[in-house]
Amino acid sequence: MIFNIFKKESIDTLRDRRTLMMMLVIPILIFPITLNVFVSISASFQEEAAVKTLKVGIVGDKNSYFAQQLNEIPSEMGAKKLVFFKDSASLMTELKKDSIQLGIITDKQFNEALKAQLPARVTWFFDATEIGINERAEQYMKIIEVKAQQKRYDELELDFRKVTPFQTSYQNIASDKKMVGQIAGGFLPYIFIAFGFIGCMYPAIDLFTGEKERGTIETLLTTPVARWQILFGKMMVVVLSGILASSAALLGLFISIEFLDIVDNQEIMKIIHEVLSPLFIVSMFSLLFPLTIFFAGVMIPIAVYAKTFKEAQSIITPLNIVMVLPAMVGFFPGIELNLITACIPVVNVVLATKELISGTLEFGYLALCFGVMVILALASVFVSYKQFGKETNVVS
Amino acid sequence: MIKVNALTKDFPLSRQQRKELNTEDKIARAVDNISFECQPGKVFSLLGPNGAGKTTTLRMLSTIFSPTSGTIEIAGIDAVKYPQEARKKIGFLTGSTGLYARLTPIELINYFASLYGVPKNELESRKKYLFDLLNMHDFLGKRIGKLSTGMKQKVSICRTMIHDPEVVVFDEPTSGLDVITAENIIKLIRDCKDQNKTVIFSSHIMSEVDLLCDDLAIIHKGKIKHEGSMLDFRTNMHESNLTAEFIRIVQS
Repeated sequence: MIFNIFKKESIDTLRDRRTLMMMLVIPILIFPITLNVFVSISASFQEEAAVKTLKVGIVGDKNSYFAQQLNEIPSEMGAKKLVFFKDSASLMTELKKDSIQLGIITDKQFNEALKAQLPARVTWFFDATEIGINERAEQYMKIIEVKAQQKRYDELELDFRKVTPFQTSYQNIASDKKMVGQIAGGFLPYIFIAFGFIGCMYPAIDLFTGEKERGTIETLLTTPVARWQILFGKMMVVVLSGILASSAALLGLFISIEFLDIVDNQEIMKIIHEVLSPLFIVSMFSLLFPLTIFFAGVMIPIAVYAKTFKEAQSIITPLNIVMVLPAMVGFFPGIELNLITACIPVVNVVLATKELISGTLEFGYLALCFGVMVILALASVFVSYKQFGKETNVVS
Repeated sequence: MIKVNALTKDFPLSRQQRKELNTEDKIARAVDNISFECQPGKVFSLLGPNGAGKTTTLRMLSTIFSPTSGTIEIAGIDAVKYPQEARKKIGFLTGSTGLYARLTPIELINYFASLYGVPKNELESRKKYLFDLLNMHDFLGKRIGKLSTGMKQKVSICRTMIHDPEVVVFDEPTSGLDVITAENIIKLIRDCKDQNKTVIFSSHIMSEVDLLCDDLAIIHKGKIKHEGSMLDFRTNMHESNLTAEFIRIVQS
């Protein structure tokens, strides 16, 4: 009997364009489209930046210190043109008009300070809202400074090594897999959770509130099927929709990575392929499945209680923020899976997935997270059962 | 047969509802200690103004609501103790019944037949009988959402009768329907009577009651104000017409 209800509700749900859009079409397309747009825009910015001639304003003439130094910097670092000004006020005016992109103003005593081997004051002006200008200024200054430093060592007849007490290097011992886990590990469960929630939302409202609003629930309740069977049949469709939506999002992401050349680094591509192993997918779904039941179990009592589609939507939509917000914990470094975080719903799934990708998840924690989610899922099913059993909730 | 004895239904009132109704009572009594019997082969009408308790009574008979107290017997089954068993014997149709717009009539009928546990060999002959009777063949494969009101009504009737119920419950079945579409329902009620089924229907339209029913009960504010045969009702009228007599009884 549960299967008959599940089958009918699945057909009904798959024929609803709105649910289909939220459950399959949007999750599959969102990543290929957004990432494609992002990559294209980013590439076009890079291309534009590479060919764009940067106009650098200098107070003084071609014999001034910075004019000479900048002219010595090879054009491989980006094309540039020097523009000379008589005073700093006119330089600043042109900079504000964007007719120049960088402005260099030195102290009055700049040359004297250089000669006296004292720190000479220089200020670079730029508009930080223009991408890449700041970085270009820092690169130029670094080259000029290294050269000036070397000159002073020579003048002072100092051995560079004698004024450099340490030869320091910082070595990252984390494997590439762990690094990928830290970066993608926060992102991946967030996608799963966000789309899992949205995927559950429309079927939950449609199959409970919608049925009440359309006046079909009354006839269903007069059939010789127990209410819990009706609830379970419908709930199975809601859970399946959530899982399908999150799987579709993963598929969309996979398509983007495989076919849109988002990841240039072949090593990282290799790690991504390694991560997406059957064991990873099984472990991932073992966490996702009870989580989706929990989502369905939270939404169904609301959908049963609400009298109209609009009312249900107005309650469940803000709930989305409450449920999905903890999923952002994956983006913050330093929060790890432990006995406490493993007991916090949503947070535990995010952190466990992160460790799963990094390959550092201990089986005990996976089992604890799974157990916690199963208990919560069962509790939410029980609440749904109680709400669905209330006469006044089911029939308006 | 339907036997109803001392049936009462209370609904709890929320604080908001108490405020709206301007009452201190924590419950609202929708049906108050009512008793009646509906015989097979006869049409029983539950007559009453809006809010009289007709729908609540019929929802208790069809086991959607559990009574606060009292007993209900449907085709020999205690419907309070064994609601699922009782539902197998009931066909339920309301004027506000909705249908699954995204399914086709054939899918809907098959779905409800499966819920009622109609055996496959019986289902085919039952479907053929009802589709022929209601002239449904032309639109069996179309989505219900695209059907006319009359076609939808035929689908509703077919759904109600697919398991060949012994007892048929109609809750204001013609409300909102035009005369031609309502005629399908009138014909269905007559057919049920001819097939010796127990029929109960609620209405507030006296002409409809006059046309169809053998026995009637007038209900007002949850209490039965009159019960008896239609013949007795007509014979003992104090007013000149049925509607005026109905109003007199309700207001007495």
